[in-house]
Amino acid sequence: MSDITVETPSIETVREAFEQEFGRFAVLSENPSGDADGSRAAEDDMRAVADLRTRHLGKKSPLATLKKQIGRVAPDERAAFAQTVQQLEADITTRIAEVETVLSEAVKQASLERDRLDVTLPGRRAAHGHLHPITLLRERIDDVFVSLGYAIEDGAEIETDFYNFEALNIPEGHPARSSQDTFYTTNGLALRSQTSTMQIHAMERRGVPLRVAASGRVFRRDTPDATHNPMFFQVECLCVDKGITMGDLKGTVEEFVRRMFGARTRTRVRASYFPFTEPSAEFDYSCFVCDGAGCRVCKQSGWIELGGSGMVHPNVLKAVNISSEEYSGFAFGFGIDRMCALMYGIDDIRLLFENDRRFLEQFS
Amino acid sequence: MNISYNWLRELIETDLTAGELAERLTRVGLAVDTVHEFVAGGDAAKDYVLEVDVTSNRPDCLSHLGVAREVAAIEDKRLNTRAWQNSKIQTAKVSGEDAGRIENRELDLCPRYAARIVRGVKVAQSPMWMVNRLEAIGQRAINNVADITNYVLHEVGQPLHAFDLNRLTDERIIVRRATVGETITTLDEVERTLDAEMLVIADAVRPVAVAGVMGGLASGVHSDTTNVLIESAYFIPSQVRRTRRKLNLQTEAANHFERGTDPEGVPRALERAVDLIWDIAGGTPDVSAIDIYPRRSEQPAVRLRFARIGALVGLNIAAENAREILKRLSFTEREHEDGAALYVAPSWRVDIEREEDLIEEVVRHTGIDRIPSRLPLATTGGEYLPNERARRLARRTLTQAGYDEAINFSFIDPNDTREFAVLPTLESDERHDENSDDKEARHDGAVDLSNPIIENLTRMRASLLPGLLNAVRHNLNHGTRDVRLFEIGRVFASRDDVASDKAHDEREQHRPLEREALGMVAIGGNREANRFGVARPLDFYDLKGALEAVIENMKLPALEFKPKDFTHLRSGQSARISLHGKAIGSMGRLAEAIETRLKLKQSAFVAEVDFNLLLDANQITSRYRPLARFPIVARDTSIIINRQTTFAAMRNSALEIGTEICRDVRFVDVYEGANLPDGFRSLTLRAVYSSDERTLRDEEVDAAHRSLVQTLVERFDAQPRE
Repeated sequence: MSDITVETPSIETVREAFEQEFGRFAVLSENPSGDADGSRAAEDDMRAVADLRTRHLGKKSPLATLKKQIGRVAPDERAAFAQTVQQLEADITTRIAEVETVLSEAVKQASLERDRLDVTLPGRRAAHGHLHPITLLRERIDDVFVSLGYAIEDGAEIETDFYNFEALNIPEGHPARSSQDTFYTTNGLALRSQTSTMQIHAMERRGVPLRVAASGRVFRRDTPDATHNPMFFQVECLCVDKGITMGDLKGTVEEFVRRMFGARTRTRVRASYFPFTEPSAEFDYSCFVCDGAGCRVCKQSGWIELGGSGMVHPNVLKAVNISSEEYSGFAFGFGIDRMCALMYGIDDIRLLFENDRRFLEQFS
Repeated sequence: MNISYNWLRELIETDLTAGELAERLTRVGLAVDTVHEFVAGGDAAKDYVLEVDVTSNRPDCLSHLGVAREVAAIEDKRLNTRAWQNSKIQTAKVSGEDAGRIENRELDLCPRYAARIVRGVKVAQSPMWMVNRLEAIGQRAINNVADITNYVLHEVGQPLHAFDLNRLTDERIIVRRATVGETITTLDEVERTLDAEMLVIADAVRPVAVAGVMGGLASGVHSDTTNVLIESAYFIPSQVRRTRRKLNLQTEAANHFERGTDPEGVPRALERAVDLIWDIAGGTPDVSAIDIYPRRSEQPAVRLRFARIGALVGLNIAAENAREILKRLSFTEREHEDGAALYVAPSWRVDIEREEDLIEEVVRHTGIDRIPSRLPLATTGGEYLPNERARRLARRTLTQAGYDEAINFSFIDPNDTREFAVLPTLESDERHDENSDDKEARHDGAVDLSNPIIENLTRMRASLLPGLLNAVRHNLNHGTRDVRLFEIGRVFASRDDVASDKAHDEREQHRPLEREALGMVAIGGNREANRFGVARPLDFYDLKGALEAVIENMKLPALEFKPKDFTHLRSGQSARISLHGKAIGSMGRLAEAIETRLKLKQSAFVAEVDFNLLLDANQITSRYRPLARFPIVARDTSIIINRQTTFAAMRNSALEIGTEICRDVRFVDVYEGANLPDGFRSLTLRAVYSSDERTLRDEEVDAAHRSLVQTLVERFDAQPRE
């Protein structure tokens, strides 16, 4: 019996031994936010607690020894002893379990923390390029004309005087024909000075009735400055049919600017002169920035100049053998570069053809 | 053209303010750009200056009188011509003694020549009121006689010239052509050599003025001038324009004459000037004025059918209203009947030739804004250019591949273009031979400008690449290092004797070839959006990949690349690009000489293809193929080959010799460097085997693959890599 007493730890000893070792974990269940820094400490503690469980609840633990003693205790004390031992076992089990729950949550948290991303870093993709603002605008203009029932045309950039001038009722000697304004090649061809050349080609090829629109490069001998380039872009629209009137011209220009700049856009018109139209008119549209109230873009006037227009001159129709008694038509055109500069707030149009990446990447 | 509001009000008693006037004039086609206040010195009344943008068809409006006429029509008022009617002098017929003084030998070029002499004038400063008037419209006062001619010009639109009578040899005036080589020193103190096409005003001996353009220095009015001869004439516009251009002179007088003045206004202007000289500079006018005008100018009679107004304009304007407007504009009506009338324009109008011109007069004074708007009925549908979709896809594919779109001038410096090969489609047929190894496939069909505006930019580009490289240079100069650009634009080559059925212009036969090209350039690193770490340097395959992506998105079959030298590309890194066996362009690394010239520190890669050919090529239509029913087996093999052996050659060989189960041979990797002999590279290929009928056995695939590799090794003098 005395041997046994010596070999068998007392309940208090077992409890004290557990309490002593468990001490450092006891605080964890009260302070469960343990491992928010993503360190491995919780995992280490988890292993230590597993080890603790083995040593205090395992088959070779002092508690197991105590449990084996239960049968040997005097019958009258056995029940009380058994109950005390079981109580001890339950205490230890519960407390370890509690700590394990806390720790396993901490381990999970630490793992999430270690995988935390900076969601604000830029997404991964190749750098993309940008379409030229002139292209963006030309495509939009084409879209509007197609939606209005026009066929988009294209034409040569180097032209004979016939297409560039004569057929457009710009006779020899007209100021617009001066070589001050028009580039010529060494064999006497003109770099087209307006997209109106399209009118003649289109009517020759398609006959009438027709509705066509064309945009493209045109050339004039201007020295580059903030508002001029020797090359720029224009668009021209032509409609010829029986019974076309200036009312159709007005309605078409109004619809065009509404589709370009929004349903609230208004227009105003005044008489003007162009050699290839008679009567001629110029249109303004209400500023797309201030809606007519007056701002920097429209120079406080509330209006922006669109461009020239009018009823196709009988001589132009005659140049392509169309009877002006039977058919009539209208044409209008405008400069794309200037519209582009106003739309994007570009204060120096030389930038359009410098192809500086810092400029180009501002448009999409 | 500057118009003084106060001056204008002397000619027309308008009720409108300067601002209202600006608006009304603008609506009838005399666009008033600005109205600003003008306050002259002293106690002069406040004035407003209207800056009128007079269109080239309305030279009659280049004066206060001309603008006043429009105002009169707007307000239905009469002009106030009291100042002229109070003239103290009367125009007389040519008197006997003066008949010989002036001789007009060129009535065709100068249909009317009038002059009057004032003797005993005193050249001095102009009175304050005249100085103020001239200053208001931006004119500088000189002396009374000069100022009066200038004043009358701006009042009635008739240029005048004052000669010092004593400085005219024999006091004579002869209107004649210059003789070849004849010279005159003009008022601007430049000696000018004349030719026989030019009209001059001469005295008995020498030219004293270039007619309608500028007077001579010697015969002009000086401070000691006492007797003056005032000239008022009508010159044919084309004559003045031609002379003015040949002499490269721009004067106020020429500006009026070359656009067209009023032949009937000649004596009135003369009378007004003489009247003012008499008043201001003193002296005595000769009793008689000289006025040589044997053939009266006639305006054409133009028929107006009143119904045509509504038909062309879309607003029914009653005949009565139309007639009223034309009457207010001083048109003379003849033969009014059956809904039509004949109209003769007043002598100052140069722009009335046909019915539409009359309709325009009616509509601009009715108000274009009153025309009801409508959309024309359509008989056709809208349509884009053929393949617009492919065009837009190509552009967007390139931007997605990192290329910014450039637009360069169409003219370039010939020195920048020398080395650049042009598109095969720009080369003439004889010169072009796809199989020729001629490194100098030169193109000599340059299109040059006869009158460039920017120094050096004298040639229409035959290639987009020089422009794109200049843009690269610009970017590098501004600190942008990684640059990828593309441009789609026309390139040009001259042709001779182009067949044309167009008889209207003989120059049709010189029409150059215009092709739309796609040019690309890449230099620097392969950037990632918003990530600025060290980028992998771009290389040949980056550029090629972008071009292939374009082709794929345009639904075209794969391009063929064949090693070929070009003058602008580095030998060994350049390729001829073909589509359907037809050469369409080139790509590669820029030649070292050009890199050096452009001071590029990194390699630049460039490509140029004929974009029209891409747009016109047959597109592939997608068709479903059944999915493989049996497993696909792949076998990779690395083979060490000579650097001159191409992947394409090996692949074609492999496909040709491969057994029926060998479905494809693909590129896996290429390795160059350590462990390989110089001049060799290791190419890893993947052969893909499958059958439509059964699952292939391993031994079967192994045998096929062994045989494939063996044949490649033998055929290309290669060796398998262990």
